[in-house]
Amino acid sequence: MSYTYKKTKGSDGKELTNHIVRKEDNASIPFDPDNRDYQAYLAWVAEGNTAEAAD
Amino acid sequence: MTVINPSSISGITSITLPAGADNVLTIHTNDGVERFRIDSTGNIKVGTAATISPDGDLFVTGVCTATTLSGAASGLTGALPAIDGSALTGMASTDNVRTGILDVAGISTFRNTMNVGAAVTISESGIEASGIGITIANINGSQIGGRRNIIINGAMQVAQRGTSSTSEGYVIDRMNFLYNGTDEAPTYSQQSISSSDTGPYEAGFTKYLRIQNGNQTSGGGAADYVLFRQSLEAQNIANSGWRSQSPTSFMTLSFWVKSSVAQTFYGNIMSVDGTQRNFPFSLGSLSAATWTKVIIKIPGNTSPTVDIDNDNGTGLNIDIWPYAGGNYTDSGVTLETWATFSSGDRMPVHTATWYTTNDATFDVTGMQLEVGSQATPFEHRSFGEELSLCQRYYQTGFAKLYNANQPIMVMSQNFMPEMRAAPTITGTRFGSETDAIWSSIEVTTSRACAFYKNGEICQQWNCDAEL
Repeated sequence: MSYTYKKTKGSDGKELTNHIVRKEDNASIPFDPDNRDYQAYLAWVAEGNTAEAAD
Repeated sequence: MTVINPSSISGITSITLPAGADNVLTIHTNDGVERFRIDSTGNIKVGTAATISPDGDLFVTGVCTATTLSGAASGLTGALPAIDGSALTGMASTDNVRTGILDVAGISTFRNTMNVGAAVTISESGIEASGIGITIANINGSQIGGRRNIIINGAMQVAQRGTSSTSEGYVIDRMNFLYNGTDEAPTYSQQSISSSDTGPYEAGFTKYLRIQNGNQTSGGGAADYVLFRQSLEAQNIANSGWRSQSPTSFMTLSFWVKSSVAQTFYGNIMSVDGTQRNFPFSLGSLSAATWTKVIIKIPGNTSPTVDIDNDNGTGLNIDIWPYAGGNYTDSGVTLETWATFSSGDRMPVHTATWYTTNDATFDVTGMQLEVGSQATPFEHRSFGEELSLCQRYYQTGFAKLYNANQPIMVMSQNFMPEMRAAPTITGTRFGSETDAIWSSIEVTTSRACAFYKNGEICQQWNCDAEL
């Protein structure tokens, strides 16, 4: 299954720089190199993809 | 010489021999051969084989046959003649070798203690083994003790996500289900052992993993596969006591398996750190609908080296395949030998019988990976202990907040136990609750997360730090 990603904002209204949201299941993925979903996100970015901007 | 020649003589009470050279009495058989003699010193001789002397000595050069031999042991002196071992029978009684020394040259000594070489001593106070130790399959038919099983949830007890699914991923904790190219998705489920499950039932298992095939109408394609995998955290291997780069250091993988169709299946172990390595193995030729215990001995390896880092990444993947298409197999693969990993050389060519049988089943339980060259009985652990081990990789929680007057609410949640890594978090609506899930998770670490919601929230959150 291929996923797409979207940035998100924190409670202060600013864009978070430590998480990304996986759109298909609304999963919150932390920017931890040991997290396999973050590794998949990095691979997705390396393929030339870009996450959507936060709402 | 005087000759008396009657057939018998009676009434004689004394015979006195003459002096000198004739002071000897002999008796001959009719052929002239001397059979009995009393000489001038008092020695009595029977032929040439036996002599009885006046001082009590008995000399016999032939066979001695006696019902009882008795006398002082101190009188037994000199070297015993060589005795063939086959003649040493009937020595089990304590009437025989009770005290003293028995040395078997170069092997054992039996003295105050029994010694085997220099490494093993058995005495009345116990057994000492100073060499490689004592290797036994079991003690009293049960487990030896101590933490041995590196596999988590090998008894298939814990299933936090549900008990059945047709999607890739997890049903039974730590057992990842993967498939590709199917016409109809297989079903992955947790099942209960019954008394008809001969083997696992007697071994005390209550649950097993089942993969039930779909209807693969297009046959076994080269890219098709169905497998389940347990990924083992590297530091659990690195600190297990197994030396991954020593051919004399072993781990042993064991598990119960049953297939509804008779076939030979395969699996492989893959090391991930450094250059990836592969260790293929066979589950053997399984009879249909019969539980079989598989035991695989896994050595460390020098060439090529098997690298295991001491960290929280993946150390080994254990894959067991109900089916693998030609893209993953090769007829030249050598079983139970480490080689550099190649995706197309994971195992020998896989028969498609199971894969092309609609609703065929493949069942596994009792997975154990332990250090050593012997498969010991399964280390049964409590449900709570196994659940705690699983929660390092997946755990769930529940949150319900109301914002009657607060525009924004923030909540934090600690993870117990600490997770392997900062987890990916998804939310699902809990029961019949309909409130929205969170707006944003602001902080996530392996120990806790914090999120906020502008509005009500009621949900189960699922934290995934699987390898």
